[in-house]
Amino acid sequence: MVIGHTCTCDQNPLLPALCRVIDVKQETPDVQTYTIQTLDGKKPFSPLPGQLAMVSLLGVGEAMFSITAQGEDYIQSSIKRTGMLTDAFHEMQPGQEIGIRGPYGNHFPIEDLKGKDILFIGGGIGIAPVRSLIRYCLEHRADYGHLDILYGARSRKDICFKEDCLENWPKEPDTSVYITTDVPSDDWDGHVGFVPSYIEEVGFRPEGKKVVLCGPPIMIKLGAASLLKLGFAKEDVITTLELRMKCGIGKCGRCNIGSKFVCLDGPVFTLAELDELPDEK
Amino acid sequence: MIISKLNLNKALQILNESAQVFVPAFEVIEDRAAKKSIREKKFLPYREDLEVELEGPNTVKPPKDILFPNVEKLYQYKAAGEDSYIRETLPEETPKILFGIRPCDMRSIKSMDKVFFTKNYVDSYYARRREYVTIVAIGCTETDRTCFCDSMGIDPNTAPGADVMMNRIEGEEAYLLHAQTEKGEALLKNLESLEGPSENVKAIRTDCTLKIRKIPDLDRKLAEMFEHPIWDKVTKGCIGCGTCTFVCPTCYCFDIDNENYGTEGCKYRCWDSCMFSDYTRMAGGANPRPTKKERLRNRYMHKLSYFNERYGETLCVGCGRCIANCPSHLDISEFIEKSSAVDPKAEVYTESIRAAQGKEA
Repeated sequence: MVIGHTCTCDQNPLLPALCRVIDVKQETPDVQTYTIQTLDGKKPFSPLPGQLAMVSLLGVGEAMFSITAQGEDYIQSSIKRTGMLTDAFHEMQPGQEIGIRGPYGNHFPIEDLKGKDILFIGGGIGIAPVRSLIRYCLEHRADYGHLDILYGARSRKDICFKEDCLENWPKEPDTSVYITTDVPSDDWDGHVGFVPSYIEEVGFRPEGKKVVLCGPPIMIKLGAASLLKLGFAKEDVITTLELRMKCGIGKCGRCNIGSKFVCLDGPVFTLAELDELPDEK
Repeated sequence: MIISKLNLNKALQILNESAQVFVPAFEVIEDRAAKKSIREKKFLPYREDLEVELEGPNTVKPPKDILFPNVEKLYQYKAAGEDSYIRETLPEETPKILFGIRPCDMRSIKSMDKVFFTKNYVDSYYARRREYVTIVAIGCTETDRTCFCDSMGIDPNTAPGADVMMNRIEGEEAYLLHAQTEKGEALLKNLESLEGPSENVKAIRTDCTLKIRKIPDLDRKLAEMFEHPIWDKVTKGCIGCGTCTFVCPTCYCFDIDNENYGTEGCKYRCWDSCMFSDYTRMAGGANPRPTKKERLRNRYMHKLSYFNERYGETLCVGCGRCIANCPSHLDISEFIEKSSAVDPKAEVYTESIRAAQGKEA
């Protein structure tokens, strides 16, 4: 994969820019989306789909998150509550000052995907990085073929980006949306079942199609197995990895898998590329 | 240029006028529990009353902290609504001279240069310190029992990349110095008044004590040995204390954290160790390197294989500090020999037979 960051090397890559959260949206009981702007109302930087941002709550800590969307004058990150730092993020109100540095890492292969049908598969918060690419493809609709979007959440209330998943995307031309929940609930009349079995149930055809698969490790493992069973090649299945990161620039050491650093050489890898790396994922 | 040993102190004094000079010298540390004092050799800021020792064994700790301090401030911040700020705190622009570093430690600085200067990002903090440091390297005149740099492809008599190379002259109490860079030439110019006569002098040549058998393509061989049972054996005894990473001249991994004073605070980075379990532990508890085996394997693989793949050189310089200081006597040179000698397939085979026999019994 190409490293596509937009580093200007005369700048200090470890120094965040002071930004402001201008909107907080409760997506699910444990996921919030933050809309982030510079203090003078501009976009902090222009990431490519799949790239990462180091988000810092001054005085608490910083961690790496995917950038789920961007507009003319903002970027958005969706963060799930999982630990001490993300607990603090979830206490934020609009107007909160935060530090942002990035964008980091490679990106989804938007050039290679041109002219292809794309199957997007997301599980849980894994839909966040996938969404950056879905939005990109919809904005450049003529460059891409048929779009299939398959998304699995625990239950109806845990579906992230409900407007996109349930209303906007199904209305897009030449786009099919498949939503499933792990458990049934009274307010859900859609499909119930896990993502890997739903992939096989729908029976996607591999011809002319690339797959983007993001979610928890177990879903990636079983989802990949389902895709291979349907005849997809490992080169055509693209996924993202997540490891603990501190610097974001391939120097602090911890996010390595073999000689590769997830923050710099990743987070986007094909299954074929992952096969080349030691089993420490 | 030749400088007599008698003039060494004078030379250091001259250099110390325009820069902060660091030299290998003895520091006496009181061990109150053992009721005795310990003499430890380390790089210290030059003072006239220092007990400087350029030759003899190398320092216990490498001089890496002068370029890459244990703890280093990255920026200051205030988190207070409208009054919030983030202010960069780059290191001061103070010229420093690292006087008397060994060829192994010079090679490790060159490896750190690759890490902090290449692969798309330049580390501003390291770059600033590096720019202001002039390095005077000295060829070894004696080596420790754990020195094996020449087995790792390093000559203990030369230090490519150092600004000035210094060697002891055979049969004389004097040193031969020559500049290897422009910075080095400028440094030697300051010492011209001390120059001694230079007729038919010959520099001492030294050889390493510890010779190990390392195959040239060990990096590629180890890449094939990720699941090999040798890793279970080599990890036995490791207590995960991180001493090896602390004394290693090439270990550069760091953590980033913050310290608060009310609403103000600073972000700093500090040395970290891949031997610690929380080094890779993620929010939620998942850990890709959950036991000592994965962690030690990653450390050795990083030194001997991964770094070669990424930067084209081995990250172990054979200084022997991790061997000399490991409380459990783990020995990377022994591992290099064993993994060089092992027939990967045969070993897996006998191990699996042994495991199968064990189950039957």
